[in-house]
Amino acid sequence: MLFNSLEYLFFLPIVVGLYYLLAPCWRWILIFISSCAFYMAFIPKYILVLFAIILIDYSAAIWMEKLIGGKKKMLLLVSLSANIGILAFFKYFGFANQTLIDLFALFGKEFKHYDLGIILPIGLSFHTFQSMSYTIEVYRGVQKAEKHLGYFANYVLFFPQMVAGPIERYATLGSELRKVNPFEYAAMRDGFRLVLLGFVVKMVVADQLAPFVNQVYANPSGYNSLQIGLAMVFFSFQIYADFFGYSLIAQGSARLLGIRIMDNFRTPYFSKNVAEFWRRWHISLSTWFRDYLYIPLGGNRVKWARWALNTLMVFGISGLWHGANWTFIVWGLLHGFFLILERPLQRYQTTIGTFLLVTFAWVFFRAPDFTSAIQLFKGLIDLSTEGPKWMDYLTPIGALSLMLVLDWSYRKKRFDLMLAEIHVRLRWAIYFVLLFLLLAFSGTQKFTFIYFQF
Amino acid sequence: MVKQLSIRILVLLVGVVVMNYLYTLFFFQKDLVKYSPEILEVWKQQKRADVLYFAESSNINVRDTDAVKLTISELTDQLVHKYHIGAINKPATHAGIYKKWIQKMDPTHLPEAIIVTMNLRSFGADWRHSDLESALQSSVVMLGPYPALANRFLLALNAFDNQTAAQREQEMLNEWATTTFNFPFNVPYPTVRTWDDALANGSFLKPDGSWDMEKITLACHYVKSYAFQMKPENPRLNDFDEIVAYCQARHIKLIFNLLAENTEYAQQYVGKELVQIMRYNRDFLVQRYGRQKGVTVVDNLELLNGLDYSDQNWTTEHYGYDGRLKIAKNIAKALH
Repeated sequence: MLFNSLEYLFFLPIVVGLYYLLAPCWRWILIFISSCAFYMAFIPKYILVLFAIILIDYSAAIWMEKLIGGKKKMLLLVSLSANIGILAFFKYFGFANQTLIDLFALFGKEFKHYDLGIILPIGLSFHTFQSMSYTIEVYRGVQKAEKHLGYFANYVLFFPQMVAGPIERYATLGSELRKVNPFEYAAMRDGFRLVLLGFVVKMVVADQLAPFVNQVYANPSGYNSLQIGLAMVFFSFQIYADFFGYSLIAQGSARLLGIRIMDNFRTPYFSKNVAEFWRRWHISLSTWFRDYLYIPLGGNRVKWARWALNTLMVFGISGLWHGANWTFIVWGLLHGFFLILERPLQRYQTTIGTFLLVTFAWVFFRAPDFTSAIQLFKGLIDLSTEGPKWMDYLTPIGALSLMLVLDWSYRKKRFDLMLAEIHVRLRWAIYFVLLFLLLAFSGTQKFTFIYFQF
Repeated sequence: MVKQLSIRILVLLVGVVVMNYLYTLFFFQKDLVKYSPEILEVWKQQKRADVLYFAESSNINVRDTDAVKLTISELTDQLVHKYHIGAINKPATHAGIYKKWIQKMDPTHLPEAIIVTMNLRSFGADWRHSDLESALQSSVVMLGPYPALANRFLLALNAFDNQTAAQREQEMLNEWATTTFNFPFNVPYPTVRTWDDALANGSFLKPDGSWDMEKITLACHYVKSYAFQMKPENPRLNDFDEIVAYCQARHIKLIFNLLAENTEYAQQYVGKELVQIMRYNRDFLVQRYGRQKGVTVVDNLELLNGLDYSDQNWTTEHYGYDGRLKIAKNIAKALH
């Protein structure tokens, strides 16, 4: 089920209503059933993949607590291998096969093409990473194993964040799911604010930017430098609005149930360098890689060459996590290079410069292949003036301006908290403006959330 | 807290009503131009015509070699002096869309008569599950029964029959594979699928012994287009029923223009059984609407010869000048 669908607008109030009507001891069942229903609206049979992940990690964690030394480590490896194996099978099999075909072709040989004919289960990268963080924490002894299968299942399945994060840790989401939440006006109010803003950011900003971006990326040769440049900038904001919008709706939906989930973004395009950008963009993934990959590899406490290699490795894997394509790996590696190169250049770092670097890298993220990406960069020096008129960009430019205004107002304090501090009349005026924008100016083409594909 | 909440909900409701008013005043018209331009054409034609003619591509396409390129509705307009006929055309349209346009007509300028194109193929699985359907459905969301702002938001949510082309194709294939014929006469195969398979497996050979793929493809297409059995649960019938109810309630003369189909080629490429099916379905429509519901059904099904059709290698209702004129004359007779 998509957040930006009529079904969800009925689904959410029903779940929220039932949640507060039920006695607290039964609520986990409601969350479990509603999360399954939410997920099964996509491809029902894939819920079995999630059940497999849940059962493997639930059992592994309980056994791990009873073991020590090598056996404990072995169990962790089994759990991680199962998660990564599932991810590899569904997400990377075709990519690995194609890479081998290309490699063999370089030497004039043939490698067989295998088509498994499978569709990637939605949000698989998110719930495998979330589940893996739990087993790692239990292995480290930081987290106690959850004995209640239902609560653990809800941790992996919780519908507001199951398909595109934030990738929560058990220590926070697990305890939030166990909390007895009485019906509170404040939770309703905050949830409503976040959901409203999330819908505006997704449907008015991202979905209005998407058509122009899609047109240019589908046919770079049909556009001049100005249009290509605009499309690149628009995509930077489209993906931000798309993912930020999703995260806000996720946070708001959870908040309506009295459950708090983490902030995944903190105005990333106001960052002064790429390192800061990664502290403010997709925070739950950045911290996952930091805690479970970067620090175990040595973190900052290694020699420069090792640190640079580790940085490239972490960002290369982060790129691969995003998508099974070399363009994503290059996108990740580019960010790794930016981080390495910006260290000695701290005094030259600016917000605009960082934005341009990030926008440059997004081209590889968005382009379907390297040929298209290179074509786009070549197009940047095409100074012809033919093409659509300025009037054609009015809608996306309006959407982009709205995003800038929202982000500017968001840079110091979260939107819902900021609203709480202003006069009631102004607050309601903002509600009405946002609601009107949502109802009257949302994009009309169906665009699923970009991060759903990961 | 209840009082607090009630006040807020009330303020919100009043705000939404005001928003809807502002939207209708300043933005609705622009959105109609963008998303549902056909309804503006309906309203425009209502002001200047006495009779409205609703059609798909049969009233757009003319043969390249025709000296006179007037469409069916334009020819009818010339033949009928009593009325001025205005046409609203959109390719691939069907009764489900005409219905929405008709129901959304300006009630202050209702026409004296409405002519609705009744395309036999539009009742079949091939057309009902066409990949053009999502675009057609999205074009009428703005005409929905809700306040303008709600319709706009429903469009943004894609709250209409918005299946993908692959999903629609699957439904079509299922229908062809599982729906068995139950005609009061014999047909050579029980389903479209089996009939299509039989034709695809070498029904036409060239003199050199190889398969004549052009003829085979056309024969298969005839079967897929026309080999279906009209049943009361066909959703198109419901659409036509609603058009009838609307017009009868407002005393508007209603004419269903049952288009000519290339029965000559259907018989030549597939066989007389397919023509029998077409006649059976035609009789069903004439019986249901002409005899039972009092609608004037202009039966053009077998009016034309094979050569009257512009597309000699496909099953479209695109006619040459002679064909269009013959149909126009029939409609004109019905209008008098």
